[in-house]
Amino acid sequence: MRRAAAINIIVDSSDKVGGDQYRYIAEKSVEDLGIGGSVETIVLYIRPEIPLFIISIRYRDFRGKNTIGELASIDARTGSIRIRLDSEIDLGDALKVLWSEYGRERVEQAGRMEIVVQGVEPEEVQQIKIREKAVDISSRISELSSRIIPEGFRVRSVKRGENMLTVIAAEDPIKEEWKAEALKIEAMGNA
Amino acid sequence: MLKFLLFEGGLYKHELITDFLEDVGGFIVQKTVAGLDLIMNLAVPEEELGRLERIVAEVKGKITIAPLIGVEVAVVAPTLSRHHLPHPACDIAENLRRHGAKTNILGLARGVGQKIVHSSPKERELIEEHDIAVFTLGNFEQCIKGFKIPLFKDLKIPVIVTGGPYLDSLPECQGYVGGIGRYPERARTGEMIDKLKSVSELAGKVAEERRRELDLDPLVVEPTVVKEEVERQVPEAREALSPNPVTLKIDGVRIKLPYLEYKDRISDMVVQGKRLGDVASIKRSLMRDYVLVKIYPQSMLQKVK
Repeated sequence: MRRAAAINIIVDSSDKVGGDQYRYIAEKSVEDLGIGGSVETIVLYIRPEIPLFIISIRYRDFRGKNTIGELASIDARTGSIRIRLDSEIDLGDALKVLWSEYGRERVEQAGRMEIVVQGVEPEEVQQIKIREKAVDISSRISELSSRIIPEGFRVRSVKRGENMLTVIAAEDPIKEEWKAEALKIEAMGNA
Repeated sequence: MLKFLLFEGGLYKHELITDFLEDVGGFIVQKTVAGLDLIMNLAVPEEELGRLERIVAEVKGKITIAPLIGVEVAVVAPTLSRHHLPHPACDIAENLRRHGAKTNILGLARGVGQKIVHSSPKERELIEEHDIAVFTLGNFEQCIKGFKIPLFKDLKIPVIVTGGPYLDSLPECQGYVGGIGRYPERARTGEMIDKLKSVSELAGKVAEERRRELDLDPLVVEPTVVKEEVERQVPEAREALSPNPVTLKIDGVRIKLPYLEYKDRISDMVVQGKRLGDVASIKRSLMRDYVLVKIYPQSMLQKVK
């Protein structure tokens, strides 16, 4: 099983207990969204007394794998093939596509991560796409930021860079000095 | 004064308990049968507790004092968004229910932030329909101390507040429990569950205090008696699909039937020789049009006369 590299979470908070709690919220939100493998660094700058909350997320560009050849290993047998998926997450999508392609009578789920298809060649199955679109990581990163930012901080300024998202959240119109602060925070994430 | 207890045991010979309650003027508030197991919420006069304990020992059951039985608690979250729900609010509500309370979760429209934080008169009125309110606030000390107090200040019911920071006390509330702020997963560790328990224990103490106060100026009729009479005289109340269709409160009951249709029947009910409409205020609840019965204390009835 592949393990995701540890995420680096940096918290700069004027409220110690609140800062620790937001580190925990960030960790769990990444886990809930299933993007642990894509997020590299999260920097949180928390100043409830202003009030100001800046979050900067650096992530890896993720090209979603979507053909069966990329997602599974295929064993050829006489008259059938056995598809062994790398991840259980893909099972539903793979079954759906194979059923519509070859019909239910030729496709059988042999185990938790195994599918047997009768009367096909491995080369043919390898090219089948199990989903049309690759997973869009940037929308999940936006979702992550909105899950972490406290709800009361409703005035927001979003800056997207290459593999980077920075959000300044406050209750007042965003000031230039906060944007300058956000640049420093981005730099912390890059270090 | 009635003492509220949770009975856990078997169905076998449980009639001994029900007969005893009938003899001494006690009540069964709620009865749940699961297979051969029986869980009952009981109300028994304080002085009869010893005798009840002997009967319970005879039927090999267990009783626990549960002051939250017959208490309707509002668990108030700053909003209904995923930031504040489900975890803190639902965990607290679940633990309160385990201690016998009936809980309702309320989300404010604008309970968040420092500048927009606000509760409307309608929200406050809805919260005040309950016996106790538990406010589940966030993680920042500055926010809680500086901006959230107006949310519960001047509420006419006792308030307990939970939040992330560990504070010795917080003004305008009956108690504060730290370490339960905004958190993103279900409380599973022993440490977290202990904190939830301390909220329930605090709510239990507050309920007990309120009952002791009421004992100095007792209600004209006991809410438990009103509950039984409503179930007997308005049988539709038993069949309503809402959970706990006649919910017991410290100073009344909430009847989960449409107000306009049932208000006259409920007002005209005779309880212990008195017309209910004369000894209680019967009004429309802000919660789904239910009927809210608030029994007058004896001193108030004298004033009314």
